Amino acid sequence: MKVYQRFELPPDMARLHARAVRLEWWTIVFFLVAIGMLAATLGQSQAMKAAWIEDMLGLVPPAAFLVAARFRNRQPNSRFPYGYHRSVSIAFLTGSVALLGLGGYVVYDSLVRLALRERPPIGMIELFGQRFWLGWLMIAVLLATMVPAILLGRVKQRIARDLHDKVLFADAEMNRADWLTAGAAVLGILGIAAGLWWADAVAALIIGGDIVRDGVRTTRSAVSDLMDETPYLVDGAGPHPLPGRLHAAILDQDWVADAWLRLREEGHVFVGELLFVPTPDAGPLPERVEALTRFAKDFDWRIHDLAVSPVTRIDT
Amino acid sequence: MTRVTGVLVAAVLMAGTAGCGLPKDAGTTLDDVRGGVLRVGVTENPPWTDVPDEGPPTGAEIVLVQRLAEQLDTTVEWYPGPESELMAAVKDRVLDLVVGGLDADAPWTDEASLTSPFVTMKTLVAGPPGVAVPDDLAGVQVAVRAGTADVAALAAEDATVVAVPEITGRETMPVVVGEWRLDELDLGDADHEIGSHDHVWALPPGENGWQAEVERFLLAQSHTGVEDLLVAAERAS
Repeated sequence: MKVYQRFELPPDMARLHARAVRLEWWTIVFFLVAIGMLAATLGQSQAMKAAWIEDMLGLVPPAAFLVAARFRNRQPNSRFPYGYHRSVSIAFLTGSVALLGLGGYVVYDSLVRLALRERPPIGMIELFGQRFWLGWLMIAVLLATMVPAILLGRVKQRIARDLHDKVLFADAEMNRADWLTAGAAVLGILGIAAGLWWADAVAALIIGGDIVRDGVRTTRSAVSDLMDETPYLVDGAGPHPLPGRLHAAILDQDWVADAWLRLREEGHVFVGELLFVPTPDAGPLPERVEALTRFAKDFDWRIHDLAVSPVTRIDT
Repeated sequence: MTRVTGVLVAAVLMAGTAGCGLPKDAGTTLDDVRGGVLRVGVTENPPWTDVPDEGPPTGAEIVLVQRLAEQLDTTVEWYPGPESELMAAVKDRVLDLVVGGLDADAPWTDEASLTSPFVTMKTLVAGPPGVAVPDDLAGVQVAVRAGTADVAALAAEDATVVAVPEITGRETMPVVVGEWRLDELDLGDADHEIGSHDHVWALPPGENGWQAEVERFLLAQSHTGVEDLLVAAERAS
């Protein structure tokens, strides 16, 4: 029996993954441009600063995804006998914690500014011989950064579901948060224009709250992953149906009297243990064990590494 | 989502075309100043501002403030004082404006809103008639007004610093001056720059309508116009 499978993803999934990698590179390019544009127009608006910080944070998930993409397919070796799939989970946790921390900072900063009743000043700017209020330019830049964030987020969310890739999903969520943030910042600046000094800080507060909420959700999901939680759907909507379906399919084999299965997620794939009780007429056991392993792996591409043991009885 | 964007774009366009009224002050500064009183804090920093013991302040920026006041049909009240006191006052809108050759790098961003720079003035090493300025100042005697940051900038280039109370143009060595003094002192060979200052005014933070009004006025000033005012101020003192 071949112990290790060389490739993690089947060919169609590998193609999808390659597309995701390309998308993530585009995401990084987009965020770098957006960060540069916002930095150039950054006035003393809190909401604008919060949107800027979120853009910088937006680099973390795609970077984590790309780093993990380099490691996840490495062959297991004597030092890492379980392979490198977990690199995806670690990338996921790193990105989530960063998200949480910066969200907290934005909330704290806006609260302090509200409490001190700070009034954000935004002045005039001269560009191409035209003089106008910097606030209008800030709004234009924010609106411009919203469009790619919306498009990238939608495509990535679809791919993430198919690939069962939580990092990619978190990243798509982040893009959503990103354009919502930009929208809130626009409202904040319109508030400043209308002479409402508190509008900006309130917008920043809402943005910060949204970032924290994202951070809490993704951190919880990342920690659960590393705690070997039973596989969940990529959007966290519920348990993944695959373990139950596989268990039922194994019990359906007429030479299996009873079976016990546990699975955990390691990045894209599921790994775990299977115990089964063969019927008395099951025949030679080594062949049966190998056949069952093959059956499980053929059942779904996500079943990657399964230790199968025959036992005399199962007490649970 | 696209609808949200659409609404936002429409709101911005409306605000932009309804135009002149926006941005508004968080307080009421612009309304109070127009046809009323403009309370200006002044710190001494000749030739930008000069605060004599008797009489109203003079200087290039004082002239600019008076021009702005004329535009707004308002009466100027001058409040001389040290920068730290004036900035504390402008923060709480006790003053509407602080002038005094302020640099854009001024550390007052917590207290005041600094305008965008309305003029950039270079500090140059120049030669009085008959004196050449070498490219490399190492070991060269250069005259500079004592007690200024220019002394350190000069020392950093290994020049031999000759600190003098005032640059007169009659020195027999290269001198350090602001670029507006070149013609007045008949200085030449002024390619060596040792510093550059972006000049700003300080306003109450969040009074964005007032700030837009002041900056519109400042950005309309030409470099040579400000230079002429500086020369006139130097002559008068």
